[in-house]
Amino acid sequence: MTLIVSVCVAVIFGTSIYLMLSKELKSVAMGVFLLGHAANLCILAQSGSPLIVGDDGMVESVKRPPILGQGEPAAAPLDLLVDPLPQALILTAIVISFGVMAFLLTLLVKTSRSQGTLDLDELARPAEADDPPVPVLSEDDENRTTHGPQPDRGNDPERGEPA
Amino acid sequence: MSVPPVHDLVALLIVIPLVAGLLSLAVINSRFWSRAIGVSSILLTLGLALGLLLQLTANGGDVLVSEMGNWKAPFGIVVIYDSLSGILVTAAMVTALAAYLHSFSSLDPGVERRYFHPLFQFLLVGVNLSFVTGDLFNLFVGYEVMLMASYALLTIGSGRAQLRQAYKYVLLNVLAGTILLMSAGMTYGMFGTLNMADLARIIAEIEADPTRELPAGFTALSVMLLLVFAVKGAFFPLWFWLPDTYYTLPIAIGGLFGGLLTKVGVYTIVRLFPGVFASDGAGGSSDVIAVTLAITAGVTMFLGVLGAVSQHRVRKILAVHVISQVGYMAAGIAVAVWVDRGAVLGGQLTGRTIAAFAIGGCVFHMVHNIIVKCALFLCCGLMEKHAGTDDLDKLGGLLKRDVFLAVLFFIAAMSLVGFPPLSGFGGKIVIIQAGWSNLWVLSVLGLLTGALTLLSMLKIWSYGFWNPDQAPVARQPSHVKATNRSAYLGVALLVAIALFLGFGSEAVYEIAFNAGDQIADRTAYIEAVLGPEGIANLDGPAPVDAPATTQPAEVLP
Repeated sequence: MTLIVSVCVAVIFGTSIYLMLSKELKSVAMGVFLLGHAANLCILAQSGSPLIVGDDGMVESVKRPPILGQGEPAAAPLDLLVDPLPQALILTAIVISFGVMAFLLTLLVKTSRSQGTLDLDELARPAEADDPPVPVLSEDDENRTTHGPQPDRGNDPERGEPA
Repeated sequence: MSVPPVHDLVALLIVIPLVAGLLSLAVINSRFWSRAIGVSSILLTLGLALGLLLQLTANGGDVLVSEMGNWKAPFGIVVIYDSLSGILVTAAMVTALAAYLHSFSSLDPGVERRYFHPLFQFLLVGVNLSFVTGDLFNLFVGYEVMLMASYALLTIGSGRAQLRQAYKYVLLNVLAGTILLMSAGMTYGMFGTLNMADLARIIAEIEADPTRELPAGFTALSVMLLLVFAVKGAFFPLWFWLPDTYYTLPIAIGGLFGGLLTKVGVYTIVRLFPGVFASDGAGGSSDVIAVTLAITAGVTMFLGVLGAVSQHRVRKILAVHVISQVGYMAAGIAVAVWVDRGAVLGGQLTGRTIAAFAIGGCVFHMVHNIIVKCALFLCCGLMEKHAGTDDLDKLGGLLKRDVFLAVLFFIAAMSLVGFPPLSGFGGKIVIIQAGWSNLWVLSVLGLLTGALTLLSMLKIWSYGFWNPDQAPVARQPSHVKATNRSAYLGVALLVAIALFLGFGSEAVYEIAFNAGDQIADRTAYIEAVLGPEGIANLDGPAPVDAPATTQPAEVLP
């Protein structure tokens, strides 16, 4: 059982890295998504096999959910119950990877709206020049730095004078 | 068991910025209230961090432990405030204050209104959590909070170049974060615990007991963790994301990132490696880690400074320089791990003393670098205000235009180089001395790097300040001075702290060496977290009828 999970982790990880090396940002985002799954599965594998193997080497049954107080013997509960801690870790990790994913997708949308492309080569080409200034739209002279990246306000609903 | 309330104040280091971040979301449209909340949050946190630090130093290097919800240590979550965490949190808050003040005058209002204030606070939440957490999984959470905020700060004012670099930064850090997550899971699988003190205890017990071995795959796990923190700390082969991203940031944010974020990675290596994940027990990883760190440190500091010298823009010189300075810290850790092999926890071997010395130097250098690097970035922001560019060819005559800025920059630059009374000297001399008899190559490289650092700083100085050719005036000097008061205040604050680190280094050394002792010999740390039963078996297996309880672990060649 652990072997199967390990192979799955390896395959998912490989696929994810392959996708992340792509030039198309949509594939990259899919790669990031898969990466989280590979890690979660890897943690799940740390809790050991969920099968209960009898003396004869045959699988007797699967372990039960980790809820005590239903008549289990108090001693060595992990022989009969699955380890709950990796699952708690995974739960937290899933939430975090959702956050990262949401951010990445937002970034993709913003990139495609403001740059009109999601191809990394296309994004790279005009920016090869060393200096990245973009015309400043702000009227406020105090905050106009002639050097350095400026915000594009192309899609900003809050465009306008500062508060 | 009731915990004395002063311990529980540690949690406020995370709670204050978190609450401030949420509050400033509510007043996002009012610049005044956003700033007021931000400044008071940073001041409160700084005051708390400093107070706790002074208190525990007065007690001779105490360890403050706060158990969340009163769950006992290896099972519940703990936050821990010892000399190492304390001095770094304090330095981080000072830097944050200066960068925040600087942002008032240097940040584009469009960027500022796009959630700069809450993001800044959330970044501090992540940084502080990473510094004070006592368990590996929470470290991952702290990293992710910090990284999410940094991703967002990186992209709020996103021009084309910034977006392209942002992907590099985000993807590399997501990958590193995932590996950290997997490593945390594997650590749990191997040792059944994620608590750092409990890990240190288990590994020390295995080291002390010649009949036991570390689990198979321990070295692989250590190397995976080292990889993660090396990405975060921008060590040699993994530094390429740094110069490109930091260069594109608004300067106040760049200063904070340049000062702070890489040091979180270095801090984690200090916290987790000597004696824990670089263990010299049977099947341990200290050889691999020591050699890897030593090579990485040498190459990082030397190539980093070569890269800096070759740049011709102030921002890029400073950004590449971050890498070179990280090399010194890595050298300190490498020396500590190198000499520590074969030492027993709680023993009195000289290797341990040197290790503590080297870690102390590394901590001192980290604090110095957090402050001074940010000061230089903020100076660069003011230079840009004067000249409208950071291109050295177009700069010039700044000494005549703004003597105050020139003085501030000169002190910060010479501190970075490490001229004797100034703060860079204190850390470098200790690291170089500690390495001298063991890893002399690193020490020689360190000295060379110091010389080249001087060259790169003089490059900025002579092109930007001394060069008599006046650059075309972007703005009247008096106008710049009048409209950037808070920026000057921020830089002056950092330079004052840097001067204190140089001339008052006695006090800082005391804390840094306390931290070094606690890292090299984790007995006090383990006892503070796990109680007296935690250290019962540290000197080897329980004495049945063996004459010697302290058995030297096998000395590796």
